[in-house]
Amino acid sequence: MTRTVIAAYARTPFTPAKRGELASVRPDDMAAQVIAALVGKSGVKPEDIEDLMLGCAFPEGEQGFNLARLVSLLAGLPKSLGGVTVNRFCGSSMTAVHMAAGAIACGAGEVFICAGVESMSRVPMTGFNPMPNPDLYAKMPAAYMGMGETAENVAAQWKISRREQEEFAFRSQQKTAAAQQAGKFVDEIIPITGRKGTVSRDGCLRPETTLEGLAELKPAFNAEGVVTAGTSSPLTDGASAVLVCSEDYASRHGFDILAAVRSMAVSGCEPSIMGIGPVGASRKALARAGLEAKDMDVVELNEAFSSQSIASMRELGLSETQVNLDGGAIALGHPLGATGARIVGKAAQLLKREKGRYALATQCIGGGQGIATILEAV
Amino acid sequence: MAEIRKVAVIGAGVMGAGIAAQVANSGAPVVLLDIVPPGAENRNAIAEGAVAKMLKTEPAPFMSKAAAKLVTTGNIEDNLDLLADCDWIVEAVIERLDIKQALYAKIETRRKKGSVVSSNTSTIPLAKLTEGLPASFARDFVITHFFNPPRYMRLLELVTSEKNDPEAVKTLTDFCDYRLGKGVVPCKDRPGFIANRLGVYWLQTAVVTAFDLGVDVEDADAIIGKPFGIPKTGVFGLLDLIGLDLMPHINASMAASLPPADPFHAMNRPAPLIERMIKDGFTGRKGKGGFYRVNREMNKRREAIDLASGDYRVQKKAQVEAIKDAGKNLKKLFDHDSVFGRYAWTVMSETLSYAAMLVGDAADEIGPIDEAMRLGYNWKSGPFELLDRIGIDWFVARLEKEGRAVPPILHAAHGKSFYRIENGQRQALTLAGEYRTLHRPEGVLLLADIKLTSQPVLKNGSACVWEIGDGVLCFEFTSMMNSLDAEIVLLLSQTIELVKKHYKALVVYNEGANFSVGANLGQALFAANIAGWNEIQGLVGLGQHAYKSLKYAPFPVVSAPAGMALGGGCEILLHSDAIQAHAETYAGLVEVGVGLIPGWGGCKEMLARWQTLGKIPKGPMPAVSQVFEYISTARVAKSAAEAQEMLILRPGDAITMNRYRLLADAKAKALKLAEDYKPPEPPTYVLPGPSGKVALDMAVESFVQLGKATKHDKVVAGVLAEILTGDGTDPTETVTEDRMSELERLGFMKLIRNPDTLARIEHMLETGKPLRN
Repeated sequence: MTRTVIAAYARTPFTPAKRGELASVRPDDMAAQVIAALVGKSGVKPEDIEDLMLGCAFPEGEQGFNLARLVSLLAGLPKSLGGVTVNRFCGSSMTAVHMAAGAIACGAGEVFICAGVESMSRVPMTGFNPMPNPDLYAKMPAAYMGMGETAENVAAQWKISRREQEEFAFRSQQKTAAAQQAGKFVDEIIPITGRKGTVSRDGCLRPETTLEGLAELKPAFNAEGVVTAGTSSPLTDGASAVLVCSEDYASRHGFDILAAVRSMAVSGCEPSIMGIGPVGASRKALARAGLEAKDMDVVELNEAFSSQSIASMRELGLSETQVNLDGGAIALGHPLGATGARIVGKAAQLLKREKGRYALATQCIGGGQGIATILEAV
Repeated sequence: MAEIRKVAVIGAGVMGAGIAAQVANSGAPVVLLDIVPPGAENRNAIAEGAVAKMLKTEPAPFMSKAAAKLVTTGNIEDNLDLLADCDWIVEAVIERLDIKQALYAKIETRRKKGSVVSSNTSTIPLAKLTEGLPASFARDFVITHFFNPPRYMRLLELVTSEKNDPEAVKTLTDFCDYRLGKGVVPCKDRPGFIANRLGVYWLQTAVVTAFDLGVDVEDADAIIGKPFGIPKTGVFGLLDLIGLDLMPHINASMAASLPPADPFHAMNRPAPLIERMIKDGFTGRKGKGGFYRVNREMNKRREAIDLASGDYRVQKKAQVEAIKDAGKNLKKLFDHDSVFGRYAWTVMSETLSYAAMLVGDAADEIGPIDEAMRLGYNWKSGPFELLDRIGIDWFVARLEKEGRAVPPILHAAHGKSFYRIENGQRQALTLAGEYRTLHRPEGVLLLADIKLTSQPVLKNGSACVWEIGDGVLCFEFTSMMNSLDAEIVLLLSQTIELVKKHYKALVVYNEGANFSVGANLGQALFAANIAGWNEIQGLVGLGQHAYKSLKYAPFPVVSAPAGMALGGGCEILLHSDAIQAHAETYAGLVEVGVGLIPGWGGCKEMLARWQTLGKIPKGPMPAVSQVFEYISTARVAKSAAEAQEMLILRPGDAITMNRYRLLADAKAKALKLAEDYKPPEPPTYVLPGPSGKVALDMAVESFVQLGKATKHDKVVAGVLAEILTGDGTDPTETVTEDRMSELERLGFMKLIRNPDTLARIEHMLETGKPLRN
């Protein structure tokens, strides 16, 4: 079977929705700029690209139509390639990677751009016209449950105290700030130019966070709850992209390969505890790779919430020394559709940087799913 | 200078910043400058800080966020060039002559030729301020004395000099009147002008007399309050608001500038208790407390100070027999054989005599003095109107009996009244003992004036209809707090028939403190308690019918609200062809507060507005979500500008800044509409149906979980969601206006039968506050 590799990774800065610098930038513009830059820096011949697979969790408004095709045209890519918009909520752009890997494996193309985008400023979570199915809602209200409530459920079921969540969030802030300070994001960030100038720095980080400050926050979703804004990922604007191609193609063109895809999986879980999604998906992917969690040198686990991150790590037997070395979404932000490609690209980049052998990228998905990708060094 | 287009305010303290905000509220750009704070990194910190603070202040100095954007901030060292294109420059810096004059010298070098410069001084005479400055400056300089807070207090005292250009004074007066909405009262260049000269004397007299006679603060405020049409804060409550620490400064300045013979000096006696309170930080509401305080250490107990001992004690309910015995008869109150009767007489006889003495001194005539106290101190009647009520001869006789001085105008008024109606015109007595006809300025039309000379064309227990000229009728609510009831609905239907036959247009307007506080809940509760469901349903249907008849009548209907327009009061606005709103209009659909939903068409009208005019994404949900948010949270616009943002006011509607001009503006709008009037087409609705209801239910559930919505909130919001989403409809179908009315009716009836709703209504009637059940 043809091996799939991650040959390049790039993202926009991540900035907080509504008040951040990218709030005034259209999501299609954001995505187009990051993709054009990725193509440029990777050296891939645009005419070789088979398809642009673009993840987006709320593909309407400025994220509407077939966003992938429009972004491809905006980015100045040749008309010859395809464009498909992918939606698996937060797992959208990781799914794009999986789709590309599948296509490569069965000989349906050699080079793909797998990207993701979300402007949570300009297209609200739940969209402009939320119209849930009344019958399903009556039968299974959790199918539409808000994410905050699921985070509370996970905290309750896995008995994760507020303090434990705050300590996790605090470390996330510290790790992310340290990485930013050390310039570890410089290579991956593509400055984005919008109506109000150029944005080149992540904006969600709160390096001044203290445990005392976190302890004072009010619960964000339930008056009696233990989840706060400080232990949740912020609403974020951003886009990300990875260049996914066959190992042959990468070698032929002398690309600096970051990592190869070893295995992939998705799985479903109870919608009311969607945050536990990474557990089922990671177990499946590990089994398919014939590996165990302890074999992972690098893990990128999307921090949608502290509670679900802690529960997932506990269930999978992951230690914090493996997880999110350059910080995570609680500090960095979580632009829904863009996160999957970011953590796959980040895991690949870290695997190479840390000279490890295996890496896992995994995340939870609203509605009750998980998705996981295992990478190996080339 | 023909027009004031741009204004500058120098001095970003409470007054300066507040004046700048009101200029911005009028839609004019304004520059706000202050000094550079010593050692500051941000040289504009003071002016910027003032704007930022105002955006958080309640009651808000700005009428909208858009207004705040009209303010340009800066400092007087770097940004004086911003004055170059300002037509009016207001100085509102510290009350020090040297500082003001130094600033004027700087302004003089930068300002545009012919621009007006004014000071907001409350103590320094105009003659002193311009001393030593060039003639060109003195020609363009006046005093404009605003009251705090500048947005809400309607009085503006204007002091001019013979050096001023009358054209420029007129331009400035017009701007302050039309654009800033102020009642501009011309004053002579005398200390304290009118309102504070009299107001400070009144306060000081009331304080020293309370000490002298041993009257408790609660009793004093009860006496020198409601019986005289003075706000219920009375004297001590008002001093708590002003700030006790301010009074010694004001008193000292008055004492220094008033001639030795002025009666003020006799009243300006030291009060050791007050001096101690100020020293200890008990400076009123802004400090640790004042004459009244809320004691947080004692479970928020309300306390008042004992004037004799100086200690706080539990606040008592004023029990003044004299007030009950006297009723509305002020003479009886003054004659009451009690310490309270003596207190009332001493304070008010001194105050009214002093007011009489001011004629010819602070003002040429009685009118400006009455107006200054009405607009500057919120008295319902000015001193001369009060004297008319008391009876001048009786008042003078008692003064004489007590061997007290009688000011000349009281002699001149012997056997007369200060005001009278002659040949249908209002006249006022002059110092010479003659009457002068009072002419309202052009564009001022008051129902109060119309009532003096005419009879209503229709009338019942809750409403009146007046002819206001040119074929226009005015519908006036007269019920308690202008609450809406069956009588009003009935008279509305009769009025519609009458206008159809004989008139061109209808204006809905009144001169109460509030346009309408909504439906009469007492009636609704009574009907519910005797299970009069049919009666209630009948009234809901009747109201819907009447409002719809207004909307589709073959003549234009213009509503002209001022103050609160809540619930049913807001719904009448929504059914009018146009709204001419006073800038201080507070409108909203607040029914959920009493466990109900708008049943007289509020839901359907707001939805129609948002579906057709809202700048929102397409699809069946956005308009529904927006209206749901407004109604389910009982959102009230805090100004007419905010009502515009909420689409209670539509693009063709307009705002009048000056309360006096509201009726004339509304009438003009009605006549304009009447020229080629066609009733509106009924709206149709495309609504999301049950899917949308689920989305709204989910949103409400998240508020319940957060503890921000109660159990009954959820029930009420559920009914509201059902109505706004069109109940069982589907986005492929069209819902008619009549179907929406039916949904409102059914929803209303469902809720009024709910015991939790009835508990809310009962609680509101008893306490005036919403029950959070």
